[in-house]
Parts: sequence; C-alpha cells; structure tokens
Amino acid sequence: MDLINPHVVDLSRFQFAMTALYHFMFVPLTLGLTFLLAAIETVYVVTGREIYRKMAKFWGHLFAINFALGVATGLTMEFEFGTNWSMYSHFFGDLFGTPLALEGLMAFFMESTFVGLLVFGWDRLSRASHLAVTYLVAAGSNLSALWILIANAGMNVPEGTHFDPDTMRMQFDSFVHLVFSEDAQAKFVHTSVAGYVAASMLIMGISAFYLLRRQHREMALRSFRIATLFGLISSVAVITLGDVLGRMDYQKQPTKIAAIEGLWHTSKPPFAPWAAFALPDDAKQENHLEIGIPFVLTPLITHSFNQPITGMRELEEQADPHIRSGIIALTALKHYGETHSKQDLADFRAHEDDMGYGFLAMRHSPGQDVSTIPASELDRIVKQTQPDILPNVFVTFWSFRIMVVLGGYFFIFFAFTTLLSLRNKLESNRWILKLAVWSIPLPVMATEFGWITAEAGRQPWTVFNRLPTFLSSSSHTVSYMTFSLAGFILLYSVLIVAEFYLMFRFARRGPETHEPQEQNSQDSVVSNLNIVQGGH
Amino acid sequence: MPRYLSTLLKLAGLALALVIALLFAVFVGDQGPWYFAWVIGTVMIILISASGAALFDAQEQRNNLLNKENQS
Repeated sequence: MDLINPHVVDLSRFQFAMTALYHFMFVPLTLGLTFLLAAIETVYVVTGREIYRKMAKFWGHLFAINFALGVATGLTMEFEFGTNWSMYSHFFGDLFGTPLALEGLMAFFMESTFVGLLVFGWDRLSRASHLAVTYLVAAGSNLSALWILIANAGMNVPEGTHFDPDTMRMQFDSFVHLVFSEDAQAKFVHTSVAGYVAASMLIMGISAFYLLRRQHREMALRSFRIATLFGLISSVAVITLGDVLGRMDYQKQPTKIAAIEGLWHTSKPPFAPWAAFALPDDAKQENHLEIGIPFVLTPLITHSFNQPITGMRELEEQADPHIRSGIIALTALKHYGETHSKQDLADFRAHEDDMGYGFLAMRHSPGQDVSTIPASELDRIVKQTQPDILPNVFVTFWSFRIMVVLGGYFFIFFAFTTLLSLRNKLESNRWILKLAVWSIPLPVMATEFGWITAEAGRQPWTVFNRLPTFLSSSSHTVSYMTFSLAGFILLYSVLIVAEFYLMFRFARRGPETHEPQEQNSQDSVVSNLNIVQGGH
Repeated sequence: MPRYLSTLLKLAGLALALVIALLFAVFVGDQGPWYFAWVIGTVMIILISASGAALFDAQEQRNNLLNKENQS
C-alpha cells in the first residue's frame, strides 16, 4: 500500500486549518451575540422602553453581517471532509457524519429561518413573538455549535463506536454515548461561553468607541453595562470549563496534556513546577529557558497533591508494547481480509485496541506494510515509531499559554469595567474605554489559540489512538492542493475585506444615522409588496 | 370561548411546560451535567445582565432627580 504524499497531507492540513481558523472568527461572535440580543430585548419587552428596542435592532444588524459570513465560510468546511479528507471520512464517517447531518438539518435550518424573522420581523411581529424568535435564533446557533463539538469530541475521545474489520471503518454504536460524552459536554460549554466573552467584548468595544467620541451616549452606556456583566460571568465559566477540559485531557489524552505543559519527564508531586515560560525543543526533547512556578502543576492538572503526570519521554516508552501489538493487529487484519478465517479475526480482536499504533508504524515499515517487517528489523521500527506519538510541543505549549493569559486578562478586565460601570465612572476613565476598543479582537484570538491547542495537541491522530493524520487525507496531487489553496486564500481574503468594511462602516455610523435608511428600505419593501398585491 | 376555559387551557399549558422542564432537568441533569449547567447558567447570565440594565435606568433616574433638586 502506497502512503499518501506527505506534501499533500501537509497542504490538506494547512488548508483545513486556514479555513477553520477563518470560519472560527465569526462563530464565537454569533454564539454570544444572539444571547446578548436576547438579554437586551428581554429588557425591552419587560420595561417597554424604546431605547432597548433601538439597541436590539442596532446590535441585531451587526449580528446579521457576522452571521452571513459565518455561514458562507462554514459551508466550505463541510465539503472539505469529503474532498480533502476522504480516507478519514470513510474510516470515521459513520460516527462523524451523524452529528454533522443533524447540525445541517436541525440547527442550521432552524437558525437560518428565524434569523430572517429576527432582522425583518420587528414591525411584523408582536413584542413577545419577536423575543421568542430571538431566543430561538440563540438556541439554534448554539445547537449548531453543539453538534459540531460533539463530532469533534468523537475525534478526540472516540466513544460509542467500534472498528468493523469487514467494512474497514468505525461503526456507530451508541448515539447517547456520543452526545453525552464528558468531552463533548465540556467542549461545548467551554466554546459556547467563550463566544459569550467575545460578543461581550465586541459590544463593550463599540460602545466605548461611541463614549470616546461622545456619540449615542444613552445606548452606549446601557450596552456597556449589559455586556460587561454578561462578559464577567461568562469569563468565570470559560475558566471553569477550561479546567474541566484540562483534567479530562490528563485522564484521556495524556500526550496532549504533557505537550500543553511541556512536560518531558514524569512530574514529581507535589513540588512539580508549572512552566510559565519555556522554549520547548521538539528535536532534543527538552525545554530551554524554563521558568516554573513550584507546587502549581499537580493540583492544577490532577486536582490532587500526590498524583504524578506522565512525561512525554515515559509516554514514548509506554508506547513500545502498543506499537508491537498494533503491528500484530494490522498483520492479522490483512490476513483476515484475504482468508476471512476465524483465527485471524480472533488474533485481530486480541490486539484491536492498538490498531492505531500499527498504522503509525507503517511509515517506517518496508513497502509501508507492517506484515512484511522481518523479526530483525522490528526493534528498530518500533524505536523509530515511538516519537511519532507526540504532537508538536512548541505549538501546543504556546497556543495554550496565549489562550490562558488572554482568559485571565478578560476576567480582570470585565471585573474592573463592571465596577466602573456600576459606579457610573466609565466616562471619567477614558483609558479603560480605549482599552475596551483595542480589546475587541482579543477574545476571538483566544478562541483561535484554544482551537489550535485542542487540534495540534491531538496530533498525530485525526481519531485519537485510532487513525493517524498522515493516513486520513485524500490522494490528490500537490498541484491540485496548491491550486485549491490559492483559490481559498483569494476568496476568503475578499470575504474578510467585505466583513471588516461592513462591520466598521455600520459601527461608525451608529444607530441613529442607520434608522432612517432602514425605515426607508422597509417602506420600499412594503410599497413593493403593495404593488404586487395590487397587481393581482 | 368561555373565560374559565381559556384560563384552564393556560394553566394546562403552564403545567405541561413545568412537567417538560422537570423531565429535562432530571434527564439532562443526570446524563449531561455540563449541558444542564449551560442551560441554567445561560439563563442566569441573561437575567443578571438584563437586571444590570434595569439598575442603570434606576441609577440614572435617581441622578436626574438629584440634579433637579440641586438646581432648584
């Protein structure tokens, strides 16, 4: 069996990372803005004050711009699984396809239908009905994220599935296991509330911009108050769920947590320091210029003072029997494919759990076939395969730290702005308003780095411990991948220019200058409808 | 429709919503505690931030009154 060209794998990874990172610029804002709109509109419905209606409409338009581009960029990713990751889709599609289809059918249609009513239904629905629509849009957008994160959790901690040697793919066993897996739950809540933080910062930043320019003061102060409270509680939730995810990685993805912490050797509790700064060297398997804080690592990761965390060198050693067992599993699987004998099947079943490690050994085997490894070569091939179980430590280590530092900053920032807002001292502290404006992109950056931590840390697997990334892509040519990548970069560059242009333009104009135009456009739609009705 | 019937229907609807909420709480609270925490937490975040706006209105009203008193 010929392996897929490594350049094609790298280009496929790069293309997916680019499109996912780009798409993920819009997702958090959509997740959070919808519930923030719901909060603002709830105040409008309860108090009946017109200012809150104006606020809900204004922020609703910003949400609509963001939503449209989020949808456009998300669609391409779903197709990428088929076009660029066909081996993965064949191997894991049974499980992965289910939540993806549910996302399309349930959340996407629900969300898209109600978005229309949210934007254009202000003068056509009662207050209560419009509020219900806003809540349904919020639920729909977050349900959409739920199914995607359930699918992603299945890749990180495959549960409710087993490998079928007759179809050569993972078969889906339990929907309940998939949906209610601990990883899916924690990932969803962490991502959703990270979106709340991003949306809060956007609203606070734009409101601060108005306050600095002494424009739309009534709207800006109220928006700032709602957003800062929303952001403060959300930032606490993000940190809590981040801790839950870290502990889960410790239990289920030990290579990921060791890479996140730059831990080359097993920790010695309780002293083990937490590396606040280090330059991990993947080639030499050591850290340079490490600055650690003692007694922090063990309780942070294990929630105890006496449990050690296995280091990457030891994890490599522990992989030795798994690689040997995986080679036996793949050899038995190959024979079973030829003979369909019960003995070969029994041999495979005995070593099935280590099959993924056998795939990893293929790269170093003669003719990429583990069944042809001579006994004299086995030790050498196992040794060569051992380092392959580790992700890129430098990337995982630093993406995690950037995310954590930003998360800490958000909590402090929200706590401070909440205090100032509650004391009505925002306008006299112009520096905090300026900081709010400059902080707008930071939560989106934090979510991007969070995604990099989760996905780079999962390497070398697409399906953890089951399917390596280098076996997952389609067998395209390098020129095909380069051409499609160039196309994506071009198209997405145009889209990002359009996004920023529309968002900046709309935000600069503010609510008052926008209202008459919107009224005009709605009037023209109504008059057009009247003409059509008259014509009939 | 007689008034008592519409009241009865409203009560029945609210009772049904209550039963669904309880079933949801029992099932999701048991199977997916973080999902349950998300639902409760999101509602709480919305209510607290919305009450922050109501508090802002009350503060502004009080400030306006104080200003008027000072001017007079």
